[in-house]
Amino acid sequence: MRALAIAGLGLRRLFRERINIFFVIILPIAMILIFGVSFGGFEPKLGLTGGQDGPLARRLAAETLRTQGVVIERAAGERALREAVERGEITAGLVIPAGYDAAVREGREVVVRYISRDDPAARQIGAAVRAAITQETYVLRAARFAVSRGGGDFDRGLAAARNAARALPGIRIESATAGTRLFPETVTSFNVAAGSQLLLFMFLTSLTGAAALIETRRLGLSRRMYATPASASAILLGEGLGRVGVALAQGLVIMLGSALLFGVGWGDPLGAAALLVCFSLVGGGAAMLMGAVFRTEQQAVSLGLLLGLGLAALGGSMLPLELFPEGLRVVARLTPHGWANEGFAALTRHGADIAGIVPQLGALTAFAVVLFAVGAWRLRVALTRG
Amino acid sequence: MRAVLLIAGNDLRQRLRDKSLLIMAILVPLGLTLVLNLVFGGLENEEIAAFAVADQDNGPVATQFTGRVLGALEREGVVDVRRVRTPEEGRALTEEGAVAASISIPPGFSQAVQAGRPAVIRIVGHVDRPVGVQVARSVVEAFAAELRYVQIAVATAGGPPERVAGEAAQAPAPVRFAEAEAARRQLDIGANMAAGMAVFFLFFTVQFGVTSILDERRDGTLARLVAAPIPRSAILAGKLLSSVVVGTASMAVLLVASGLILGVTWGDPLGVAALVLAGVLAATGVMGVVATFARNAEQAGGQQSVVAVLLGLLGGVFLPVAQLGAALSVVSLATPHRWFLRGLSELADGGGPGRVAVPVLALLAFALVTGAIAMARVGRMLRP
Repeated sequence: MRALAIAGLGLRRLFRERINIFFVIILPIAMILIFGVSFGGFEPKLGLTGGQDGPLARRLAAETLRTQGVVIERAAGERALREAVERGEITAGLVIPAGYDAAVREGREVVVRYISRDDPAARQIGAAVRAAITQETYVLRAARFAVSRGGGDFDRGLAAARNAARALPGIRIESATAGTRLFPETVTSFNVAAGSQLLLFMFLTSLTGAAALIETRRLGLSRRMYATPASASAILLGEGLGRVGVALAQGLVIMLGSALLFGVGWGDPLGAAALLVCFSLVGGGAAMLMGAVFRTEQQAVSLGLLLGLGLAALGGSMLPLELFPEGLRVVARLTPHGWANEGFAALTRHGADIAGIVPQLGALTAFAVVLFAVGAWRLRVALTRG
Repeated sequence: MRAVLLIAGNDLRQRLRDKSLLIMAILVPLGLTLVLNLVFGGLENEEIAAFAVADQDNGPVATQFTGRVLGALEREGVVDVRRVRTPEEGRALTEEGAVAASISIPPGFSQAVQAGRPAVIRIVGHVDRPVGVQVARSVVEAFAAELRYVQIAVATAGGPPERVAGEAAQAPAPVRFAEAEAARRQLDIGANMAAGMAVFFLFFTVQFGVTSILDERRDGTLARLVAAPIPRSAILAGKLLSSVVVGTASMAVLLVASGLILGVTWGDPLGVAALVLAGVLAATGVMGVVATFARNAEQAGGQQSVVAVLLGLLGGVFLPVAQLGAALSVVSLATPHRWFLRGLSELADGGGPGRVAVPVLALLAFALVTGAIAMARVGRMLRP
């Protein structure tokens, strides 16, 4: 009972500071929103200017627009295009010159400029665009060839070339896909973002929340608790439960909030709940350890930021584990985030249930046990010495 | 002036005694830079896509494609081409992700094309490589278009087919595709992380300046300060100056250290110095204004953190806002962070200090506006 009262105090103190609501609830949900919306933004982009002043130019622009896997953006002009390429805002830019139609019809050579910084992605898109131009202009070339051989004017040549093209059998291209997607198609970017941000912020709150433990010691609250008939174990249990309770409450709000607001699915409810509880225990244990080891609140907050963000990055909460190289995946498994991210990935991306994430739950439990044991021991020393 | 320096000096002495400032200003940003560089640094090495090609035809038309067309792509460094015996082999390579796409030309292809019968080329693309697959498809389509062009020319122009075909192949293409290389005014991933972390934590480093007025009020020293024969603006100036000194020093340490560790060269020193100074002034001003709205130091700290995190987030410290579309990119210009990072990017290709004129002016505008507001509001704070 006494332990619960102490635990409740931890929660109340957190939410009494209004500003904490921003960092604990609003910021994580905002981050899920930003990452959820912006994930598609990482596809390569091709800027396009011109290609609007005649039917042939429009056709050429439309043919380039069909380039798949690339987002096409209209740009105001060549200058803006070049600047955007230089700044890396777009991968490359294509300039269809003014007077394209007239030049083609009169048999003058038209130069279409492709502006890029020479990198592999730009070279690939360049090859695709150049091929698209060949596809669009082969009929025009045939028409001009006919004109050059005395076949009347351009329009007649073009009509004849188009007619001939229709009659030719040509080469058919059969395409198929192979391989497995890194992220199953049903997985939304919100899903990926929600799991990783949930863990990042739960752990961050736990670590920076260790400052509350230090405050408890600094204000003499713990000494007064110790003076009551409450045993040292009850105080430790209460402080530990308080930290775990904060993490649990935050995790629940983020999970439910993202489910309601963005339709994020968390997979098997039992498995998700188990992961949430285990990770809260890890966070609570880490908070106790931090709260015992550091002397000032500022230190706990600063190093909490470093550890909280650093471990999250290494554990796949900033870049999905799927995109990690081999060696770094091993490092990820040294962090609780790595295991928990694996667990949520299994639940939400690969349809696993609680039985499928036993190794992850086991690893998290091990983290929690070690952190709690060491944390309780150090905190007992810190509390009883005053 | 003496009073300003005295106040600033006194604040500086107090801050330097406090280890937590050192942790927040240097250790945390530097540590995070290293970790983020470790995690994200690998993304930079873009690999050249590879195609597998199975030519079971070996006729003249097929050889034209595998030799001339794909050979040119290989030489230009667009793709690597791996020649395989069977389509199955190519599919297997695609399946395991070793190549982006495999192209197979079935037996009898050349004969069919030459006889004007329908012919087929098959492409198997990897699901996660849309660009590579698109390159494969469009290259094949362009090759098909070239063949059709000659066929059309023969069909529409009278005369002996072989001679017409030869002449048609010589006729110039209507459109020339000209590549123009652009400069690189962008920080690479490591440098961007380092600069982003530096400017993000700068806001936390300089937050103590104006906030310390609130501390002095709590500790009762403010009344003594106000009673002294110095103008009140000197008190604010002293507080701001101590922030600027600490902020500049920490930025210098961070940029030099991350430059040495990550091997980043930051570009023209004068330009970098101007950016750092303007950035520190802007950060000090913004944090100062926030502090003037708070009742006590704790409240100020909380509100400053919120502002610093929001500005950093929108300013592109944690994600590449410039690449994420117009709306976010425009919003981000309302943050000092974005201007600071943009300024450093402008210097990335070795340009002179003139390049950073606009970013520096933008940062100074932040400093001026926020400084003026802080000056106007500070009177309320100085009422003991």
